[in-house]
Amino acid sequence: MSLLEVRELHVWFDLQEGRELHAVQGVSFGLDAGERFGLVGESGCGKTTTILGLMGLLPPTASVAGEVLVGGESILAGGESSVRSHRWNDIAMIFQGAMNALNPVKKVLWQIVEPMELHGIADGTQARRMAGDLLEMVGIPASAGERYPHEFSGGMRQRAAIAMALACQPKILLADEPTTALDVMVQAQILELLVGLSNDLGLALVLVTHDLPVVAQVCERAAVMYAGEIVEEGPTEALYHAPRHPYTRLLFAATPDLYGDEAVVSIPGAPPRLDRAIEGCAFRPRCDSSLDRCESEHPEFRAMGAGHRAACHLNDLPGEERAAREGARRAGSAAPAATPGGGAP
Amino acid sequence: MSGLEEIGLEPRASAPAALLEVEDLKTHYPVRRGVTERLMRRPRRLVHAVDGISFSLARGEMVALVGESGCGKTTTAQTILRMVDPTSGAIRLNGTDTTRLSQRRLRPLRRRLQMIYQDPYESLDPRFRVRQTIEEPMLVHGIGGSRKERHDRTLEALERVELSPAELYVDRYPHELSGGQRQRVAIATSLVLDPDLLLADEPVSMLDVSVRAGVLSLLDGLRRDGNMGILMITHDLSTAAHFADRIAVMYLGRIVEHGPAKEVVRDPRHPYTRALLSVVPKRDPRDRSSPQILKGETPNPIDVPSGCRFHPRCPIAEERCTREDPRLRRPPATGDGHEVACLLA
Ligand SMILES: Nc1ncnc2c1ncn2[C@@H]1O[C@H](COP(=O)(O)OP(=O)(O)OP(=O)(O)O)[C@@H](O)[C@H]1O
Ligand SMILES: [Mg+2]
Repeated sequence: MSLLEVRELHVWFDLQEGRELHAVQGVSFGLDAGERFGLVGESGCGKTTTILGLMGLLPPTASVAGEVLVGGESILAGGESSVRSHRWNDIAMIFQGAMNALNPVKKVLWQIVEPMELHGIADGTQARRMAGDLLEMVGIPASAGERYPHEFSGGMRQRAAIAMALACQPKILLADEPTTALDVMVQAQILELLVGLSNDLGLALVLVTHDLPVVAQVCERAAVMYAGEIVEEGPTEALYHAPRHPYTRLLFAATPDLYGDEAVVSIPGAPPRLDRAIEGCAFRPRCDSSLDRCESEHPEFRAMGAGHRAACHLNDLPGEERAAREGARRAGSAAPAATPGGGAP
Repeated sequence: MSGLEEIGLEPRASAPAALLEVEDLKTHYPVRRGVTERLMRRPRRLVHAVDGISFSLARGEMVALVGESGCGKTTTAQTILRMVDPTSGAIRLNGTDTTRLSQRRLRPLRRRLQMIYQDPYESLDPRFRVRQTIEEPMLVHGIGGSRKERHDRTLEALERVELSPAELYVDRYPHELSGGQRQRVAIATSLVLDPDLLLADEPVSMLDVSVRAGVLSLLDGLRRDGNMGILMITHDLSTAAHFADRIAVMYLGRIVEHGPAKEVVRDPRHPYTRALLSVVPKRDPRDRSSPQILKGETPNPIDVPSGCRFHPRCPIAEERCTREDPRLRRPPATGDGHEVACLLA
């Protein structure tokens, strides 16, 4: 049994005039203690909505369906009252932009003590001592807890945000773009810290980011999201060396590598609107190797080997035919970065 | 016709001048003193934002200025644009030193220098249609002739940034464009003035990975075909390695290493460049060489360390590094134009 199991999670947002936006469309994944799992994809693909859904922290305009199991126990089924006892205690998150959202008028130590007291972990002197220990653990001298967030550098504020998420000793940490606003050197420091925490505390980590190389370096497994769905999931090595969804392959091809010599190529077009039903494969309009059936038939997941699955019709073709199809298109698409008429991305 | 002739200045008579030459440029800002400091008559302190840098840029060339935030990249660009005044040194544009020109005499030159900002969401006025946005600079600089001519120039600029057919985009508002399209409009806005030099400050860092390559390829094409020079400011070394001809690495207001892009990336000689390159996440999960993570963050440019300013964080510093301030020089067995400011290189 996995520590965290997400089954067929759906999230809809109510928009005006009775319309709705289907932000998360049947997302499933699981992870074990100490595992590091990446959730990647372009802006708006539903990464944040997915993890807010796991935490039961979506706004009232959202409707949620599906199951989230923590240690086998379904936490969303009983609504707010059932999720409340798990939130922060079992499953915690670092919000996107958290380092800039610390309370500016409260000393950093207090911002860690508060959740501890609120959740009955500890109080008084003991809570303060534990908060100090937590700060030390994330690389901030305990004495610096007496300072205010604005006296901290960006990297230090992100460390404080991590300490805050860990205040109630969760087993699962969801980190939403924890290094996006940081310089490479500070990013490396924060990633080193997160990897260390998952190794030392057996913390299961979900790393949400649009940055593929970060996931490649930190996570053993990852899921690629597109338009509210996971389109491919597997070991990060397989995603890079043997992707089974054109979107995964094209995302890597759009990402420059320090030592790579091949041209980086952008993906033409933009993701589809999520406030209308999507027919067939959501990626088809941007795909470089789609088939006729992609237009009308929504692709289902197919297992591709150990822990590797993808939702793409190409995988129904014999290996050679699939390779030829993707290869031919790849060579052809390398020329212009933008498609005339179709509109530049 | 260059902007210089328009204002009656002769280009220097010497050999073909570089498009841009920056020589020992310093930009120091006074630190705002608090009341006590003023009462106690503490001396004014200075931020050494840019502290003696030299580089040049030819037509058709792209130079990347890389480094962590606070290293002086943006101040360098602002000084070149004369949005801030330099403390000393020279900035020669087509051979003419602009540092001593009055704002009035600078005006015609300004046109030749265009800035592309990081955030296409902020740099476009949400109330303006694409047409108005692009025509605005022509009106300000009194060029473009008749209404019809301006219209034609606008369409042409849109086609050049691959927003094609242009008719499809001219009447849109920014919110009707994707992020990548907005950045293309921002670039089109500077192109109508026929600039010689584009200063691009993190031009793609706000954009989605899938569209970054398109915007970068566009800039790449403009400098190759349009005979423009581009100074790209970025913290992303992978992007710099891919698109720039030369890379200059800045640390605390100084260039510590510069040279041909591929050579700097494959054979870095400054310990700071080495560390910086080692922490860039690679796309391939199998390629997990151990990063060399420096402690702390870039110190602030008010208290610049003695000797080599990198010595407090340097993994190989010796005693003399605390005393001697290294000059840029070519280390043994490096290619042409590769220079490093390190006593031990
Ligand atoms: N409160 C809300 N009301 C309506 N729509 C929303 C709301 N929050 C998110 N959305 C929509 O849901 C979709 C998924 O958004 P989400 O923030 O989860 O994406 P993301 O993958 O985290 O993107 P980013 O990389 O930009 O953070 C988007 O289309 C977004 O516009
Ligand atoms: Mg998000």
